[in-house]
Amino acid sequence: MQITERPTSHHWRLLAAGAATALALTACAGSPAGDDAAPQDGATAGEAAALTVYSGRSESRVQDLLAQFEAESGIPLDVRYGDTAELVAQVLEEGEASPADVFFAQDAGALGALSEAGRLIPLDDEVHEGVVDGYVAADGTWTATSARARVIAYDSQELTPEELPQNLDDLLDPRWQGQIGFPPGNSSWNTFVTAVRVDRGDDGARQWLADFDAQNPERFNNNHGVIDGIENGQIQIGLVNHYYIYSKMEELGEENLRTRNHHVGGDPLGLVNVAGAGVMDTADDPARAQELVAFLTSETAQQYFVDTSGEYAVRSGITSTVYDMPDITELEQPDIDLADLRTLEETLEMLQEAGMS
Amino acid sequence: MLRDALRRRSGGAAPALLTGAALAGLLMLTPLVYLAVRSFERGPAYVANVLTRPRTGQLFANTVVLTAAATLVCMVAGTVAAWLVVRTDLPGRRVWGVLFALPLAVPSYVAGFGWISGFPGIVGFGGTLLVLSSVSFPYVFLAVSATLSRGDAGMEEAARSLGLGPVRVLLTVTLRRVWPAVLAGALLVALSVISDFGVPSLMRFETFTLGIFTRYRSTFDPTPAAVLGLALVALALVVTVAEARVRGRSTERVGRGAGRRAGPTPLGRWTPAGMLFVLVVVGVSLGVPAYSLTVWTVAGASAGIDGPHLVATALDTFQVAGLGALLTVALALPVGVLAARHRGRVVRALENITYLGFALPGVTVGLALVYLGIRVFPHFYQQLPMLIAGYAVLFLPLAVGIVRTAVSDAPVRLEEASRSLGRGRMQTLARVTVPLAAPGIVAAAALVFVSVARELPATLMLRPTGTETLAMAIWSRTGASQFAAAAPYAVLLVALAAIPTLVLDRVLRRRGGD
Amino acid sequence: MEESALVLDDVHAGHPGTPVLSGVDLDVPPGTLTAVLGGSGCGKTTLLRTVAGFHPVEKGSIHAGGRLVAGGGVAVAPERRRVGLVSQEGALFGHLDVAANVGFGLDRRARRGDRVGEVLELVGLAGYGDRMPAELSGGQQQRVALARALAPAPALVLLDEPFVALDAGLRAEVRGQVRDALTAAGATAVLVTHDQQEALGTADLVAVLRDGRVVQCAPPRTLYDSPADIGVARFVGDAVVLPADATDGAAATLLGPVPVPSGRGPGRLLLRPEQLRLRVPDGDREATAKVADVVFHGPDATVELDLDGTGLLARVPGRSDVRPGDRVVVEVAGEGRFFPAGDDG
Repeated sequence: MQITERPTSHHWRLLAAGAATALALTACAGSPAGDDAAPQDGATAGEAAALTVYSGRSESRVQDLLAQFEAESGIPLDVRYGDTAELVAQVLEEGEASPADVFFAQDAGALGALSEAGRLIPLDDEVHEGVVDGYVAADGTWTATSARARVIAYDSQELTPEELPQNLDDLLDPRWQGQIGFPPGNSSWNTFVTAVRVDRGDDGARQWLADFDAQNPERFNNNHGVIDGIENGQIQIGLVNHYYIYSKMEELGEENLRTRNHHVGGDPLGLVNVAGAGVMDTADDPARAQELVAFLTSETAQQYFVDTSGEYAVRSGITSTVYDMPDITELEQPDIDLADLRTLEETLEMLQEAGMS
Repeated sequence: MLRDALRRRSGGAAPALLTGAALAGLLMLTPLVYLAVRSFERGPAYVANVLTRPRTGQLFANTVVLTAAATLVCMVAGTVAAWLVVRTDLPGRRVWGVLFALPLAVPSYVAGFGWISGFPGIVGFGGTLLVLSSVSFPYVFLAVSATLSRGDAGMEEAARSLGLGPVRVLLTVTLRRVWPAVLAGALLVALSVISDFGVPSLMRFETFTLGIFTRYRSTFDPTPAAVLGLALVALALVVTVAEARVRGRSTERVGRGAGRRAGPTPLGRWTPAGMLFVLVVVGVSLGVPAYSLTVWTVAGASAGIDGPHLVATALDTFQVAGLGALLTVALALPVGVLAARHRGRVVRALENITYLGFALPGVTVGLALVYLGIRVFPHFYQQLPMLIAGYAVLFLPLAVGIVRTAVSDAPVRLEEASRSLGRGRMQTLARVTVPLAAPGIVAAAALVFVSVARELPATLMLRPTGTETLAMAIWSRTGASQFAAAAPYAVLLVALAAIPTLVLDRVLRRRGGD
Repeated sequence: MEESALVLDDVHAGHPGTPVLSGVDLDVPPGTLTAVLGGSGCGKTTLLRTVAGFHPVEKGSIHAGGRLVAGGGVAVAPERRRVGLVSQEGALFGHLDVAANVGFGLDRRARRGDRVGEVLELVGLAGYGDRMPAELSGGQQQRVALARALAPAPALVLLDEPFVALDAGLRAEVRGQVRDALTAAGATAVLVTHDQQEALGTADLVAVLRDGRVVQCAPPRTLYDSPADIGVARFVGDAVVLPADATDGAAATLLGPVPVPSGRGPGRLLLRPEQLRLRVPDGDREATAKVADVVFHGPDATVELDLDGTGLLARVPGRSDVRPGDRVVVEVAGEGRFFPAGDDG
């Protein structure tokens, strides 16, 4: 008699199908990962060895630029995108075994932290040749690759630049009662408040926040919302990053746009933050890693940043062909070391106390 | 050592089973070891300092309140939904049953984006509660409807014959019977709410997990975040033990014989109320995210869709989720079998440990695997095996609970019959227990598959170079505020996750028919 | 003489703090069907699980098929004992068909051979191989379970109340089929049951288990006619117990002298209800009992009697014309069993 263990329930069949699928997957799983990994480990592969880049800058913003580097230099890149802070934590946990060669960060604070932990090696001078003074780390371990500034966005139909606040205290004038928009909880807003704390001390910042709150500022969900608020006349001015106006401009056309940016010099209101890059101490071939960093500060890359994302170039004399924006040298950075902006926790605590989180 | 202890306390289970369970336990200890090492590297004073800050207390309180509220909402909504679908004559209940399971396929961050883009004002506690409840209640719904489907009309009929009205029967007999299932679902809800980062971050409600992320973000220092992670472990432990306690006291069905499934309860004039409930739940949990996704997809389609890339990311997702489900279920099996068959202190501890991974933020588990993985298995670092192991740590509890229930449902007598026929413990496991528990095992695999497909932080850290999942594609696009570009990936992710969700739903709710 | 198929020697087993078996001795000759009979809580199930290997032995030893399987530091795993098991519900594997169920305990080659068909034929289910368990009746399921247990030709088959889940009518039929199959297979079997009729009607030997020990093990007839004590007597059937005073070959009772095979002095006399004959009194002179109640069973009826305050039970043919309130003369047919005072059971 033929004996069969006949699977009867549909569940059993499902399980079998699932197992088969999984096995098939395992079979085809090994190849790509294995192939990619092999040359990376040994230096034997020579020319083919890829540089591993940990990028806190998002793929959609920088992948074309990095592809351009690969094409021009012949150095293949292995880019691992992630949140800047999480990548820093990852690199710190990886320690000496880290595969990272270059760290490309969204914030100066992240690079400062890596530098402080001794994880970045000093860059050769020619790597950041041409970068504007003040945009290279004092110890030479990293360089800014692009910049963004806090601005006062304003309704150009109602206001002239001369009428606008020129510093934190001007913003507390009764004139602006109920007319200011801001995006609570947004990370760039939080960084701005941290800058206020660094500028005025915690007590001063607390006082300023209380006075600001007394102005009955309008809360928006994000920076885009603030711009929309100005466009539809709900508010007259808004505290945002400089590039949020650009997407609205593309949508409406410059001639139809009411909102304009006002740059405030030498005050936390005009804080300039940067994205930047450095070479890891675990880099297999620091020279080639530096080549990438040098590329990011090159005129080609700088032009890419001003044209695609509307960020400021960190070189002087790069003019955006797309956006109307001042040269980086025209921005007057407040007297704040960007590396000091690492006390977000305290800022959040203060915002919560002030009821503005 | 662990094996010896297990063997002593577990009443002579098969060595292979103990080895498998010990392996699972060891893997689950990874995050704990990491958190302990990191937290105490600056001494206990530092730990105390981080924990006693007022803000830490505030975050903890926020998390406890949110978790309690969301769990309660899900317990009620999930149970009512299950009862309506399984036990009443509500029109279209088959369709509703499927729709109630489906939110499991919607990643919480996608639901969050959906809500916030449609209703920008919905931030803070209310919004967080709403969105997290709407994506988590299927845990309760599925658990309860599985129990209700298994059916035990006898008890209810007996109660009716003793003069109890239908409502009192529902509240006393039926609710009593499904209580363990409600609790099992509630445990998963609570742990997933505790560990969720996306929704609190979008909705700006400061939870403990969000606080951990903020720590990384502000100080670029893993140590304070690790200390907070330990506190989260403690919270998860309290929740897990509490659930086990409460469940331990409740009554399971006694007596044997196949439970008979009762005929549907006519809703009568309550039908409109039932329909209203169903429509609200489906509208909140599926309607709003679906609407937003549709709007974005239409917008995104005009901008052009990168078809090949879409397919490539879908295949990668399918691969890692499939392998993740396979390994996780393979590890859950010994733990589940031990938990079902050998209740002992060690086994219970092991089971509790498995739940911790689920309560920890993905970034913490990811960093733990980075920390230990690169030191212990440098060759597997950022390779598929380590990524898959990471998924197992994160999602083992999802599988263990279901496998344990499925194995408990398989009669011990059958295993004994197999042993008396000369089959050893492992053969019996393979040829009797596993086939009998197959529906549960399939369900567990489906649930893990869905969870892996939408996982992000650990995937980002541990993925092999070149692997890009749908969740990653969504993240990288929404990070740049390109919702329209992210939409096709989100739609595909939901679609991909919907398939195993439907399998899960079918398997769990059909179990009564066997 | 062949070696015993199963020998239990002073077996102790139980749960922490609660002994269940406290010194069980049992010897099962090969090729026989031995019933272990006991009330609920007497330790039947523990005994069976101890023999099968699912419950540890604390003291004493078990030999199965001439091999030490438990005791003295030995604990052979269930799968190595060659002890088959048929449980109450049959415990068929619902995910396997009948042939796969029956072939479960066979190795790969044997499964492909004739053995499965052979044992299925033995239980009268030839040709049922490709059915699923759910498609079978309860009795058929039990027979498949028996075939499955018999297939690997075990040293011993344990039957755990295998007929309890069956309808009364079906029970006798299936019992007969199982009995025949066991005989045909030449298998040694131990049947655990709480049903006296089942034990007496099916087994070659019946072991009565009480308070964790075997109080008597004997062929059914011996057990019924010559129980070890009053307790056993009551357990294996209805009993009439009367105070008695025995002298040579006879015991003086309320019903007059009754012949007994042995005994002397004060004690109690055991009679079976069917030994009591009732007749209409000849006149007023004879001592009579009053009929208290009559329970009709069909072929026979039980009659409760009151003889000067002492209750008696008689079994009479179903057609007897006895009504409550009648006065009848009670006579004894055959011998009684005498138990001297102090020999309580």
